[in-house]
Amino acid sequence: MVLTSHLAALGLYALATVLVLAPFAGLRPLPRGLLLGVLIAGIAAHALGVARLTPFMGVAPTLSLLALFLALLQVASEAAFRASAVGVFTGPLATGLIGLALLIGLAPDVRPVVGRSPWSILHITVSILGLAMLALAFIAAALYLLQFRELKAKRFGQVFRLFPPLERLDQLNHLSLVVGFPTVTLGVLLGFGVRYAGGVSVDAAQVVWGMLMWLVLGWAVGVRVVRRWAGRRAAFASIASFAAVLLVYLALKLTTPGTQRFL
Amino acid sequence: MSITVLGANHRTAPLEVRERFAHTAGEVSQSLERVLAAGARGGVLLSTCNRTEFYLAEPDDAVPEAVWARLSERLGVGGGGGRSASEYGYIQRDRDAVRHLYRVSAGLDSMILGEAQIQGQVREAWDVSKAVAGPVLHRLFQSALLVGARVRSETGLATGAASAPSAAVAVAGKIFTQLAGRSALILGAGDIAELAATCLVSEGVRVTLVANRTYERAKAIAEELGARALTLDEAWDHFGDCDIVLSSTAAPHAVVTWDRVAPAIERRGGRPLCILDLAVPRDVEPAVAQLENVFLYDLDDLQAVAAHAAAERRNDIPAAERIVTEEVERFWGWYGGLAVVPVLREFRDRMEAVRAAELERTLRRLPHLRPEDRDQIEYFSQALLNKFLHQPTVALKEAARAGRGYGLLDALKRLFGLERRDGT
Repeated sequence: MVLTSHLAALGLYALATVLVLAPFAGLRPLPRGLLLGVLIAGIAAHALGVARLTPFMGVAPTLSLLALFLALLQVASEAAFRASAVGVFTGPLATGLIGLALLIGLAPDVRPVVGRSPWSILHITVSILGLAMLALAFIAAALYLLQFRELKAKRFGQVFRLFPPLERLDQLNHLSLVVGFPTVTLGVLLGFGVRYAGGVSVDAAQVVWGMLMWLVLGWAVGVRVVRRWAGRRAAFASIASFAAVLLVYLALKLTTPGTQRFL
Repeated sequence: MSITVLGANHRTAPLEVRERFAHTAGEVSQSLERVLAAGARGGVLLSTCNRTEFYLAEPDDAVPEAVWARLSERLGVGGGGGRSASEYGYIQRDRDAVRHLYRVSAGLDSMILGEAQIQGQVREAWDVSKAVAGPVLHRLFQSALLVGARVRSETGLATGAASAPSAAVAVAGKIFTQLAGRSALILGAGDIAELAATCLVSEGVRVTLVANRTYERAKAIAEELGARALTLDEAWDHFGDCDIVLSSTAAPHAVVTWDRVAPAIERRGGRPLCILDLAVPRDVEPAVAQLENVFLYDLDDLQAVAAHAAAERRNDIPAAERIVTEEVERFWGWYGGLAVVPVLREFRDRMEAVRAAELERTLRRLPHLRPEDRDQIEYFSQALLNKFLHQPTVALKEAARAGRGYGLLDALKRLFGLERRDGT
């Protein structure tokens, strides 16, 4: 059931990605409802698979959950910001992550007892949602910089036509950071709760990465909200933040043995 | 039965002639009354800056002359260089007339391919002429609006900004989330700037300031737009607080220079500023575009946006023409059916009268027949007539459904002398 749901989600996400990218190849954009319908069908299949993932820890389930949140955020961006172009990044990313999760294997975790703790599951879920929000901020920032470059260079091609207005991308970036920061904060607090109140042992690498994500996101929100950065400067800050979180994760992962554990 | 369109458009008449042909809403009924008085069962007058067209249902032979006479009057002495209105005009009949209106409504016949404004103008023409349009033209205009909507939704004919003023709106729309409520500063009083300002205002942009070299001219335009007037020197500081600058002065050199506007723009923080330079020669020094969050576009850039959109629209012409052809056939099928019913009734009545007369004459010659024999003869005549009429009736109805009924109807009228007007 887990495998079937994930394979169905993989197919539907891939189809949604093709539908998003088709207009960039010069094909006529398909109705918005069709794209959303395919994506929502993929999310439904995926959610079914994720719900049956026990004990819900390890790299593959984490990647799967991240892919699910990215797909959900794509739908939210489309509905609230009419930013279909977000799918240019989230589509391939969600498809790739779910494919990678299937390749690694959605097998039971090496520490099943820990994985069954509801607080632990909540900590992981909230933290990954925060990470997905940071990814969305990065995507909005990347789209902003691409559209900015096209507008400055007076190129009126597919990016100009199909990307949302600059200001809307800036608002999406702002909202992702402002909502993402409390989410990551909650994830970190739950992590401390699991470690100190729940008595579950947590690796130092997880603590380092979790705190780094919180600090980096805090800085990105700080410069936007307190120092009132906007536009290109804020976009660069978001991209740098996401890159730092990703690079530190990869560095920590390379020093941690095993492909099954998240960190 | 027939439908005819007579008129002139941007392809057949120069602007100065089209200006004279153009009717205000108040003039439409008077012109239509005069044309209909020459003999037609319904009329609609579509008059825009690019076309003046009379759509007429079942016009008599004298009607075209009445239309050209009416339009020639509007040319006045010397208005057309001594030429008659008919020399600038065209006539299309029946299917071609229907196709013409459908193409007009779809924007296929517009100066700017696929422009959406014509759809509203067709609707307005229909509204203004409703009292004298008649059922056929009601149906025709109703379907024309549906064809226009179908072409716009099923093809890319209306996508993108295909004119410089609409390109200005499109470019500004790629910078700001929404244009409604944005503030604009207009520099100069050129016609293009005024046109572009009108486009922006229609999107909800507020023109708050108008600056010109001469204060009086600025004041005149500012009053029209509900804005505040400034001199050019007072305008530079406002680059810090408005969202859009529309420039179209008659200056022979750049008036918006880095030195004049950079200090104000730097105060904006991260807020973008869209500068649309519509002047030739350009008003804005290219170096101004180097300022962070300043997006500067001149007339060439906007024309590039428009050309790009127009080229994309042209790819959709075959698809749009296919829809038009399909809808013309659909309308013609309906219209043909409308024509067949009264002619068939007339034909049957005429044949029935012949049958009844011949039967009566025959029975008078055979007085010895018993009543039941007389009934048999009457039944025979009735059955024979029905057999004779069956095949022509079926053939005509089928031809009408397929939109090919007119040739047969005409033949029928001529062969059997059916002179009664259709539809009565």
